[in-house]
Amino acid sequence: MEISKTSTGLKGLVSPDTVSTEVDIHQDGVTMVKSLCYFCHANCGVLAYVKDGDVIKIEGDPDYSNQGGLCCRGTSALLHVNHPARINHALKRVGAKGEGKWEKIPYDQAIQEVADRLNQIKDESGAEAVASAGGTTRTDDWARRRFLNQFGTPNGFHNALLCWIPTFMAETCVAGWSPFETDLAGAKCLILWGMNPGASTLGGMNGYTDLQKNGLKIVVVDPRYSETASKADLWLPLRPGSDAALALAMLHTIIYEGLVNWEFVGEWCDGFEELQEHVAEYTPEWAAPITWLEPDQIRQAARLYAMNTPGCIQWGCTWDQIGRASTTGSHAIALMRAVCGNLDVPGGDGMPGPALNYLTDEEMELNECLPEEQKAKQIGSNKFKLTSWPGYQMISDNAKRTWGKTLPTEWFCEAHGPSVFKAIITGDPYQVRALIVNATNPINSYGDAKMTLQALKQCEFLVVVDYWMTPTALFADYVFPAAGALERPTIVTHYGATDSIMGGRRAIQPKYDRHTDMTFWRKLGLACGQDPANWPWETEEEAYFHILEPLGLGGVESYNDFVDYYRMYYPPLHQNKFKANGFWTPSGKVECNSTILRELGYPGMPTYIGCIENEIDTPEIAEEYPIVLTTGGGFMPYHHSEHFQMQGIRYLYPDPYFSINPELAEKLNIAYGDWCWIETRRGRIKMRANVEPEVHPNVVFAPRGWWFPERDGSADLDNPFGCLESNVNVLTSVDDEHCDPMGGSWANRGLMCKVYKCGEYDKEYKKEDTQFSIPGSSSEPGVTVMPSDQKLAREPIPFEKPEPAEAVPEGYEWVWQSNTLYQKGTHFRLDESGWLINPRTKGYHDAHTGWRYDAANECLVDDETGKMYTMEREEIVFAAGVRCYPGQAAPYEVPENLTWNQEKGYATLGDKPYVYDPNSGWMLDPDNGAFHDANYGWLYDAATGHLVDEATGKHYDMSYAPVEE
Amino acid sequence: MTRYVMVIDQRRCIGCHSCTVACRTWNKLPLDIVYNPVVTEGAQGTWPNVHKSWQPLLCMHCENPECVPCCPSGASQQDEDGTVWVDPKKCLSCKVCVNACPYGMRDASHLEDRMHRYVRKCTFCRDKRQLDPSAQPYCVLTCHQKARIFGDLDDPNSEVSKLIGSVKTERLFEEFGTEPQIYYIPDLGGKA
Amino acid sequence: MKHHYWEPPIALYLFLGGLAGGILFLAAIFNSFVVPGYAEVFALPVLVSLVCVAIGCVFLVVDLGQPGVFWRVWTTSKSIIKWGATFLVIAAVFALLFLLAFIGDAWPIFAGLSGLLKPAADFFLIVAGFFGLCIMMYTGIMLSTLKAHAFWATPALPVLFTISAISTGCAAIVLSIGGWPAAMTLESLFVSEIVLEILHVVDIVLVIAELIVLLTMVLSFAGAGNETAKAAARRWVKGSYAGLFWVGMVGLGLVVPLVMYIGGGHSAAATLVAPILVLCGGCLLRFMVVNTDDRAEIPGENRYYNRLAKNDAEFITKWTYGDNQF
Repeated sequence: MEISKTSTGLKGLVSPDTVSTEVDIHQDGVTMVKSLCYFCHANCGVLAYVKDGDVIKIEGDPDYSNQGGLCCRGTSALLHVNHPARINHALKRVGAKGEGKWEKIPYDQAIQEVADRLNQIKDESGAEAVASAGGTTRTDDWARRRFLNQFGTPNGFHNALLCWIPTFMAETCVAGWSPFETDLAGAKCLILWGMNPGASTLGGMNGYTDLQKNGLKIVVVDPRYSETASKADLWLPLRPGSDAALALAMLHTIIYEGLVNWEFVGEWCDGFEELQEHVAEYTPEWAAPITWLEPDQIRQAARLYAMNTPGCIQWGCTWDQIGRASTTGSHAIALMRAVCGNLDVPGGDGMPGPALNYLTDEEMELNECLPEEQKAKQIGSNKFKLTSWPGYQMISDNAKRTWGKTLPTEWFCEAHGPSVFKAIITGDPYQVRALIVNATNPINSYGDAKMTLQALKQCEFLVVVDYWMTPTALFADYVFPAAGALERPTIVTHYGATDSIMGGRRAIQPKYDRHTDMTFWRKLGLACGQDPANWPWETEEEAYFHILEPLGLGGVESYNDFVDYYRMYYPPLHQNKFKANGFWTPSGKVECNSTILRELGYPGMPTYIGCIENEIDTPEIAEEYPIVLTTGGGFMPYHHSEHFQMQGIRYLYPDPYFSINPELAEKLNIAYGDWCWIETRRGRIKMRANVEPEVHPNVVFAPRGWWFPERDGSADLDNPFGCLESNVNVLTSVDDEHCDPMGGSWANRGLMCKVYKCGEYDKEYKKEDTQFSIPGSSSEPGVTVMPSDQKLAREPIPFEKPEPAEAVPEGYEWVWQSNTLYQKGTHFRLDESGWLINPRTKGYHDAHTGWRYDAANECLVDDETGKMYTMEREEIVFAAGVRCYPGQAAPYEVPENLTWNQEKGYATLGDKPYVYDPNSGWMLDPDNGAFHDANYGWLYDAATGHLVDEATGKHYDMSYAPVEE
Repeated sequence: MTRYVMVIDQRRCIGCHSCTVACRTWNKLPLDIVYNPVVTEGAQGTWPNVHKSWQPLLCMHCENPECVPCCPSGASQQDEDGTVWVDPKKCLSCKVCVNACPYGMRDASHLEDRMHRYVRKCTFCRDKRQLDPSAQPYCVLTCHQKARIFGDLDDPNSEVSKLIGSVKTERLFEEFGTEPQIYYIPDLGGKA
Repeated sequence: MKHHYWEPPIALYLFLGGLAGGILFLAAIFNSFVVPGYAEVFALPVLVSLVCVAIGCVFLVVDLGQPGVFWRVWTTSKSIIKWGATFLVIAAVFALLFLLAFIGDAWPIFAGLSGLLKPAADFFLIVAGFFGLCIMMYTGIMLSTLKAHAFWATPALPVLFTISAISTGCAAIVLSIGGWPAAMTLESLFVSEIVLEILHVVDIVLVIAELIVLLTMVLSFAGAGNETAKAAARRWVKGSYAGLFWVGMVGLGLVVPLVMYIGGGHSAAATLVAPILVLCGGCLLRFMVVNTDDRAEIPGENRYYNRLAKNDAEFITKWTYGDNQF
């Protein structure tokens, strides 16, 4: 039977003489490959059935954590690989920008042309004039950083600021690592805060549901009655964007109702009294009008969490998307966990630390290649310091001192994306001339879409690596085809921030002229003239094996072996690690008043700051824009701005719908399905109304990411592919004073808007609606304020670092918090004993040479060369593998018939060249390592078990009795 | 004897549409054919006292199917194990069965060639089970929440038998006398 | 809700089938009991019925997804559709035989064939008329057995369809009685006048009966009982179908022709306009009933289906697998 062309199915997979649509995976020539899904971070297990180099079928892996489950995106993988709109060849622009005229050219030719242009720009304007934008993990970003570091530009960035990174950094400032690995099996209570696994991480939701059945209490904090909220034990429907106020009030309640874990606080928390005083004003009554919750609701939630320990708080994207108060909120939540004693304990929030047993992403990045003066040029690092070089450097140095390894610079140390876009438009602080966009469509995923679109249009040299012809790719000079799910192996390192690893194999080689992103960066690096020795791995498999090799897993000779035999690696469960060595902060304690934050010029304790627009602080805005808008949350079946091309998915959800309470809808005369305008001070978009009481009567919830790939992008270059008209990022602001002063993230939640029905004469998206502005304003188009003249939401707080009481010796750094010296470079701590201590192994090292102390052999070892030294740092000489003591008297008893050779430092037998081994009692031949007996020098023959007199050829047994043949 | 049925635990369903897409992808359905929609009335109640639940639908594989006896060509039929299916080679697409189904769970695609349409419906993945009798339907396998449980009602040890015997289940439109064989565990706001 | 599976061809088929059945049934009754011996006056009406059957069958077959194998309709024993198809074929065959008995009058070349068949013409018409009755009843019964649709699942529907079929048949005979292809004698012309007079009265009765059954069915649904049927009937009585129902079907299709029949004497209003209106009313009835295929809503179903893409959405036809763009 022929499958019709409009079918969601694939042609040719079904035998024509059967009506069955089932693909027979048991037919001859089919092999099964363990792969991983590659459409979101959950990375579910996928079994791919491959025949003749093509995947004929996929299934969820029943033996993986997803238990066979795959969501809409995962099940569509095969359709994704073969989708007719995929970019399959390198495209070179031949028409005007955006005209959509392309020439297909060979991949390597395109790489060389791009490399030549990048080198030219570097020569003319410096490496920093080249920037690179990324999206969410669908890439091996260590490879990008490896390229950027060698190229010399600090201006790589992602949407990382909206997703975990500011939270991670704040949490690390408090306790030394992010406590993000929830140990739910032992937990009594779980807070899902600003997180909706029911529409994002389905495998996780399954686990939560099972645990809830067994008694786990689940609190959901969400302004929308989400999929997850519908299953919660307690739901806190707060005002969008007021998460920081809620967190502070909960922290206040926990502290002032005495619900803290006093034992933990007493032993492990520094500055608790300061914190207690600091949060005194953040009462539930104070938070009530901000959060729209009753004080008792806040108290109830705080008590539920604090009285049901151990408990977990699962990180939620919202924390990083409320704009100015983002890091304040996650900082307060970090302290909540700490004072309740939930850090790194069984049933609490686990702090995995970096991978100590295999290579971290950071070790793959070649960060040492980036000169200090280039680091200083990182755009935005003078403002948003926590997530760029200034903050990263402090946090990273501290991590190296405490853990022995650190976070990758990708994600955790990046340029401020919106500031880079502004720099493209304004040339402030300097002109960014080239942008390499990899796996992202910034118009839809970054804030202030109109400004971002303008930047991409204006960018002198734009290179895009993507699956699709996105609105961003439309303006590119070169578009590179990316290999995706099934075409590449997958390794899950959780942004290089944890110590476990999971892997999936490549099912098929990339189709057409598609290449993986690592190959892209490698080829580009080599074409730019980077040292081939720095790009040793031709394939991901080789690179991943390099990462995993230190694990020394039995039977693993390649990456594919790892997937086939292990699939994942988890270190033995290690909780309560802090009890042995303290927390991984500079002070070794949980820092209630973070020293790193203070050193960076930020408050060391969470200090409330409101949303950029709200009824209390900005009543004049609320008058014109009375409705609170929340956006940015994930929703099924899409992921970010992806999958709008997938027809089988799009059919279920063809148009954007925003949620509005029936009460408000009635007031605004809006009926279900009506197209409406949603407008903020920055602009307006249109969506259809989903009239449903899942949101507060004064709140609307709008889904993110919408664009319309089915349209002709070039037809309207003001709004290509309709990328602005239903894009919530038209409504968001990335003005510096609207961003989180620490992390630099901008607000998707808690904006003020108005909503009105599309009128008969006002239903089209017009040119005026597309005009950009800096700062974001729909009334004043164009650039009215230069970025460097913009203020921050909070002025830096001056911090004076204490001076050391004694001079710091050469080669050491002094850490004021613990009054400790650390060796530069190695970051080993100088112990009171005068030895250096390696934080990773806890081993001792010689302070002068760095050689490791080997207690078993009572000697020093240089791990780089493998050479051993005496405690006096003299090289230990070996002959035939036996330690020698030249120039010394015999340190052991020499048998009577042997002679001590002081010059050589070992005992000999007559004039024979053999070396006496005091451990075994045998003589060893330095030439071949053969054993000879110490009385006659006869050779031991392992085959017969005899001693052989080589001169006569006679055999003797072990008691020297001749053996007759 | 074998009698295949499905239990759907609405207490676990979160309306992710995975089953819908898995079904249409693996069964290679035309775009306008949805075997298993997951419907909801949306949140019910007055903010903030609301509740929302989802109802995954599919062919009810009725004990007394309305759609089988009405078929003039014998295409619409029921296996001994209860599976109701349509043989595309026999179907005229007269759509009497489509109109006979009280659940709206059958249709012919309008995106296929005008002269080569046939009525399609959920078959509990009959094609798959014919290749591998122990196989589970795709919607069951793909469900992260494990909200769908498929099995043999005539086997007292099967999970479906145990569930139907122990938990209060409901069936859709029993008043039609069709004896639908999809058993729902309703989500009344409690816990799974 | 997913519905309207049956499209205009089916409504037209139900109308034309009923109409043909009505013509054959009435012709057989008149030829057998009222004015025996003047079968030639019914030659043209039977031709009309045959044309209706032919067009109806074309619509029916064309509406199938796989028309090339329509004969498979006879492969099972139980289905009502199969019986309907059988009735249609038998009625059509005998109507054709009846017609062939008179075709010689128009084309002498067939005189021999006609001569051969003429003795059995009355018998042919009786058989055709009987199966015509079966067709009329079948159209209503077929819908009424589909109990998923509350508005159809009532015994009143077959009654209504049958009355309407006879009524439209009546109107069709009025418009077509007597003439080509059969050769008419003066006597047969006179007989046809008598038949017309009787039909005039019969149709008055039928229209009144239809009005009663229709109003009873719709108003009783609208007043009480099954929620689905109630909602559908309310749509007829005071919802989106109210105009079509009250003005179109009840007014122009029934009341106006009734008034014309009663008060119009032998004017063109009574002999030409009224039958045409009755035919239009009958056709409208089938369209409205077929379109009123409401099922009981599974909660949330409408919301779901309304949100799905329409089949003309741009993204559906934008990409074709195997046809790569870049």
